[in-house]
Amino acid sequence: MYPRPFEYRAVTTVDEALRVLHEVEDGKVLAGGQSLLPLMKLRLASPGVLVDISGIPDLSYIRPQGENAVEIGSLTTHDTVAHSALLQERCPILPAAARGIADQQIRNRGTIGGSSCHADPASDLPPTLLALDAEFSIVGPKGSRTVPAKEFFVDLFETQVQRDEILHHIQVPTLGPQWGWSYTKFNRREGDYPIVGVAILVRLDSHGRRLEEVRIGLAAVNPTPCRARAAERFLQGQEISPAILKEAAHRSTEGLHPGSDMHGSSQYRRDMVQVFVRRGLEEAVTRARLAGGNP
Amino acid sequence: MSAARTSPRSVAVPAPAEGTGWVGKSIPTKESVRFTTGHGSYLDDVKLEGTAHIALVHSPYAHARIRSIDVKEASAMPGVLAVYTGEDIRKLVDPFMQLAPPPADKVLDYPLAVEKVRFVGEPVAVVVARDRYLAADAAEMVQVDYDVLPPVMDAESAASPSAPILHEAIGTNRVWDGVYEYGDVDGAFAQADLVIQEKFHYHRFNSAPLELNAALASFDRRTGELTLYTNNVMPMFCMPLVASSLRLPSDRIRVIVPDVGGSFGNKINSFPYMVLVSVLSMQLGRPVKWTELRSEFLAAGTHGNERTFQIEAAVRKDGTLLGLRGEAFDDTGAYARYEPAGAVIWAQVAFSMYRHKNLRLHFHSVFTNKCPVGPNRGYSRAQHLFLYERIMDRIADRLGLDRGEVRERNFVRADEMPYQAPNGTVLDGGDYARALHRVQEMLDLPSLRAQQKALRARGRYLGVGIAAALDSAGNNFAQVRVINPHLPFSGNSESARVWMDMMGRVHVAMGPTNQGQGHETMASQIVAHELGLNPEDVHALPGFDSHSHPYTGHSGAYASRTAVMGGGALLGAARELRRRIQVIAAHLLKTAPEDILLEKGEARSRRTGNALPLSVIGGVALGNSLELPLDMDTNLSVTYVYRPPFRIPSHVDKKGNFTLTYSYQVHGAVVEVDPETGKVHLRRYVAVDDCGNMINPAIVEGQVIGAAVHGIEAALLCEAKYGADGQLLASSFTDYLCATSLDVPPVEVEHFITPSTAGPMGVRGVGEGGGTALPALAAAVEDALSPFGVTFQDSHLTPERIQSAMRGRAPTVPSPP
Amino acid sequence: MKRKVSLRVNGEEREGWAEDRMLLVHFLRDELNLTGTHIGCDTGHCGACTVLLDGKSVKSCMVLAVQAQGRKVETIEGLEREGKLHPLQEAFREHHGLQCGYCTPGMILSSLYLLRHNPSPSEEEIRRAISGNLCRCTGYVNIVKAVRAASERMATRVEAPSTEETG
Repeated sequence: MYPRPFEYRAVTTVDEALRVLHEVEDGKVLAGGQSLLPLMKLRLASPGVLVDISGIPDLSYIRPQGENAVEIGSLTTHDTVAHSALLQERCPILPAAARGIADQQIRNRGTIGGSSCHADPASDLPPTLLALDAEFSIVGPKGSRTVPAKEFFVDLFETQVQRDEILHHIQVPTLGPQWGWSYTKFNRREGDYPIVGVAILVRLDSHGRRLEEVRIGLAAVNPTPCRARAAERFLQGQEISPAILKEAAHRSTEGLHPGSDMHGSSQYRRDMVQVFVRRGLEEAVTRARLAGGNP
Repeated sequence: MSAARTSPRSVAVPAPAEGTGWVGKSIPTKESVRFTTGHGSYLDDVKLEGTAHIALVHSPYAHARIRSIDVKEASAMPGVLAVYTGEDIRKLVDPFMQLAPPPADKVLDYPLAVEKVRFVGEPVAVVVARDRYLAADAAEMVQVDYDVLPPVMDAESAASPSAPILHEAIGTNRVWDGVYEYGDVDGAFAQADLVIQEKFHYHRFNSAPLELNAALASFDRRTGELTLYTNNVMPMFCMPLVASSLRLPSDRIRVIVPDVGGSFGNKINSFPYMVLVSVLSMQLGRPVKWTELRSEFLAAGTHGNERTFQIEAAVRKDGTLLGLRGEAFDDTGAYARYEPAGAVIWAQVAFSMYRHKNLRLHFHSVFTNKCPVGPNRGYSRAQHLFLYERIMDRIADRLGLDRGEVRERNFVRADEMPYQAPNGTVLDGGDYARALHRVQEMLDLPSLRAQQKALRARGRYLGVGIAAALDSAGNNFAQVRVINPHLPFSGNSESARVWMDMMGRVHVAMGPTNQGQGHETMASQIVAHELGLNPEDVHALPGFDSHSHPYTGHSGAYASRTAVMGGGALLGAARELRRRIQVIAAHLLKTAPEDILLEKGEARSRRTGNALPLSVIGGVALGNSLELPLDMDTNLSVTYVYRPPFRIPSHVDKKGNFTLTYSYQVHGAVVEVDPETGKVHLRRYVAVDDCGNMINPAIVEGQVIGAAVHGIEAALLCEAKYGADGQLLASSFTDYLCATSLDVPPVEVEHFITPSTAGPMGVRGVGEGGGTALPALAAAVEDALSPFGVTFQDSHLTPERIQSAMRGRAPTVPSPP
Repeated sequence: MKRKVSLRVNGEEREGWAEDRMLLVHFLRDELNLTGTHIGCDTGHCGACTVLLDGKSVKSCMVLAVQAQGRKVETIEGLEREGKLHPLQEAFREHHGLQCGYCTPGMILSSLYLLRHNPSPSEEEIRRAISGNLCRCTGYVNIVKAVRAASERMATRVEAPSTEETG
C-alpha cells in the first residue's frame, strides 16, 4: 500500500511546528505515525503536508509535577510509558494500558500524544486518560491552553486540538493509596484494538468498605471514548457488595451506542461492557483494599 | 508379515536415526543459511532492469454489470505506461480452460473481469506504471460505472432455481453436481437403532502465507521468449493454462520459481495474474511485475472451500456407525479456477479412518459472489474429515457413550491394514486406536476430568476435545475424471535429476518448488544417503527453473506429496547414478561393480580395500574418457521419473485408488471457555502423528506443528467473513486474525512410525493434518460447556457465537463423572 | 520530487533518493537493494519488515524513508560478522526456527531487540517480544526455542559490540 503524494516537513522546535502548521493549508502533524501512516497507506487519509514533530527533543519526557501529578510530554512513546518507574509508582493504570497496545515495534514508535490526538474510540489510552481526568495542554498560535479530558475528545477521530495546534503534554494525577484501578481490554487476540476496553479507578473510604469515588472510562462503545457516568453516580458513596457492582455494570451501558463489526455486534459489546465493568470494579476494589491495608 | 503390521514405535522427540545413513536425521536445513542472513531470494527480490509495475482496479461490488470504464484520466497520470480494461485483455488472451463438464465448461474466465464483476475485489482494470506508487495513484483515477446486481452469498441459495445467475452463459450457478454412492446405504438406515440428523458448516478461510502472490514477466521480442518468474507452487501444471491463454508455444516460456515464502496451496490459483503480467510484458516490451497486496490476497487470492453438510447418520446402539447419507454444498466462489476438483478430492478420505461401508453423498459445487476457492492446506479433505469427527461426537453424545470409545469402535483396526475402503482407496498402515490412546495418555485424561469437575464447582469451564484425521498424499489425478471423464489428467509423477560433474561433485534438482519444507535438505539427505556422501557435499539447486530442473506435468508442492513423489524420484535417480559410478569404478579398480561400496566420497572395493575418490571417477568419465571402454556408459547425469501404480477410476461407480498413501494424526485440545464472554483459552494442544519413516524428523515436526496451528487459528480466529451485501469484512490483517505467538500454546508432538506399504522408503506425506484442530476445538468447547447443553454446527467459534449460544442458559446439568 | 536520504545502515554510510511518501521498507529494498527486509501486509500487522532504527525495533512499513535521514538502521544483512553467523542466526538454524524463511529476518531483529534489553528472557517474555511478528509456518514453537538457545549462548559469549550501539 502506498500513500498519496504529500510534502514532508520535519521540524525540530515547537515554534517551528506551529509556524509551519500556520503556513500550510492542509497540514497534519506526524508524531509516531503508527496510526496515521497506516491510514495514509490505505489512502483513507491524505494530508497535503505532513509536519513531522517527532524530532522535537523537548516533547519526550515524563516528570513529576509536584507531589500530586505527573506530566508526560506528548512524544513520549508507549514503550516509555509502559516502563516508567515514576508512572508505575504514581499512576500505574497508565503503564498497564500502554503495555497492552499493539506490539513492541508499535510501542517503540507510537506516542501518547499521537494516540490521544488520533482519538480512535477503540484504543487503549483515551479511556484511561478520561478515567484519570487527565489534563491536555495544547499550544497554538494564540498561546497555550489546558483542556480537561472530558472536553478533549470531541467526536470520532476529532479532539480539541485544532489544525494549527499541537498537543504539548498531558498531566495525570498521582493516585494515592486509597485508590484502586484496573484496565481490561477484551479482544480476540492480545494487542488488537479492544472489542471493549474498560479503565476503572475507585477510591475507597479508610475502611475499604465504601466507594468514595468511581471513574469508568470505556473504549470501543461510542464514537468517542467515554465515561460510564450513570454507573459512576450510582456507585458513589455505596457500600461495596457483589449486587451493587452488578447493578453498576448493568447501568454502565446507559447511553452507549456501540457499533457492530465482525468481532462483536452492538449487543455483544453492550454485554461485554457489563461483564468487564463488573470484573474491573472487583479488580480495582481488590487493589485498593490491598493498597489501603484492608485486604 | 507386512511392515504395516509391525507395532508402531513411539518417539517422543525426533531423534536422529542410528548409523551412518542420512535419511532419518534432523539436520538443520540447508536453506536456513540464506534465510537467516537475509539472502533468500523471493519473487519481489528479483529485479530486472526497466521493470514496470502494475496496480489493479478492483470491484467494490459483489455482483454488478460493468457499464463503462473511463481510463482517460488515469492514462494521463505521470509515469503511466498503459491502462488496460478487461475488454482490452480479452482481445489479447484466450479464456482459461475449465475443468468442469458442460455446461459450466462454458464459463469465460479472464485475468480481468469482462462485462460483469462477480466478487468484491475482482480486478477490472490494470495500470502499468514506472513504479508502484505511480501505478497506485493512477489506479485510483480509473472510473468504472456499474449497474449493481443482487449478490448470492451462500451455496444453498445459489443452487436454487430462483437465485441470481453469476454466469448467464451457462444458465445455472451449478459448477458440478453428482451423487457418490458406496455400499447399501438404505439397508444401513433400515438396520439403524438411531438416525442422527445434523447440519454442519465448514467456514471460509485460508492459510495466508506471509509472502504474497507475485509474478514478473519479461518478454524478449528478439527471441520471442517469455521468462516468467512466479511464486506459483504448481507452475508446470499451470503451464498449459498459461501457454494456451497467451497463445504461446510452451517452448517459448521459461518458468522460474525462486524461494517461496509459504503457500499452503494458496499460491496455486495465481495463474490469471501470471497471464496478466505476461501479456502486458509482451505488449509493452519490458518486464512487468505484480506484487499482490494483502488486501488483494484476502479478497481475490484463494479461499479454502466453504462447505455445508445436511447429513444423516445411521447408528447402532453400541455406537457403530452404519451409514451416512446427505448433501454437501461446496461454495466455490465466483470462478471455478481449480474447481470443481474439490468435488472429488474429498473422496480420498470418503470414509475417513472408519470401517463403515455405506455412504451416499450428493455433492453440489456452486458459484457464489465470493472470492474463488482453491487448494488450502488439507484441500477439500479437511471439510469432510470435520464432518466425520463431529458425527462421531454426536453419536457418542446421543447414546451417552464416551467420544473416544465411539471412535475406537469405528476405527479401521491395525490388523486390517492395508485396508481397502468401499470406494477403492487403500489405507496403508497404522494403528489409529493406539494413537488415540496415546493422546489420551499425553493429556492425562482422568486427571483432566477431575480438574474439570473441580473447576465447574467454581464456575469455570474446562473442556477437552480429541479428533483424528487422515493426511492423504500423492493424489491420483485420474480422480478428476469422476467429475469430467474427458479431462486429460491421470496418475501422478515426479522427476528428479542427480548428476556428478568432472570434479566428482554431486548435484540434484527436482520438480517440486520449495515453499519452506526444506526440499533442498531432504533431497541432499536422500542423495547423500545413497551415494555415501555428506549432505553438505550435495549441491541441491534452489527453487525451480524449467531450463535447469526436470519436471513432469504433475510437478509441484501440493497434496503432501514431495517426500513421497519427490522422494521416489530422488531415490531412483540416485540409485541409478550409484550403479553407473560402480560400473566405472569397478573397471578402474579391476573388480566387479557389486564389490564397489560408495562411502565418504570414495568408491571402494570391499574385497581389496582399494579406493578412488569420486573426483577421479568424474574426471575419468567426463574428461579422460579413453581410460574407459568405448561401450561403457559415461553419462553421469540421471533423470528419473517416479510413477506410482495408479489406475483410472471409473466415473460411473466413482471407485478407485484416489491417492497413494495416508498419514494419520490424532489431536487433543484442552480449552477453558469463559461462559460470560464466550472467549476460548487454549490451554494445551497435543498431537500424535504417523507419517511412516521420516527423512528429516525435525522438518516433519515443523509441518505437524505448523499445520496444527493453522487449524487452531481457523477454529478460533480466522474467517473470510462476508456481509449479506457481499462485502468482505475481513479485508486486512486487522480483521483477518492470524495467530500470533501469544495465541497458541507450544504444540506438543509425538510420532508413531509405521512404515508405509505404498510410498517409497516407507514414507508418507505430511503437512496437511492441521484440519484436525477444527473438530478437536469444536469438541473441546462443547465439552467445556456441556453443563449448558450447547452444541455447535460451525467450524468457526467466535466469542460472540459462543456467548450468544449460551445466552439465557444456566448450567443445569450436573457435571459428568 | 525526490530528496536525498543519507543514513547509516549496518554500520555503513549509505544514501539514496526517496520521494517524501516513500516508506522506509521500500527505500531499503528498492533503493539500497537490501532485500532481506520483507513485506507481508499493508497494515503494520505482520512484522516482516522489522528493522532497528536507532536501536529500536520498528516496522519499516510504518516509517517514512525521509524520517530515517541521518539515523542508524540495522537490518538482517548486518548481523553476520566476518562470515560468522550471529548467535540468533545460528540458533534459528539449529532449532529449525524457520521454514519458508520469509518472517525470519523480522523475527530475528525483534529477538535481537529483546535480548539487548533482556538477556535472559522467559518463554512468556519471548512470546510477548515477538507478538508483532507473524510466522505462518512454524507455530512459533521452534522460534521460541531458538531465541532461548541464543540467549543462553550469548550469555556465555560476549556479543561482538554492535557498531550501532556504540556509534
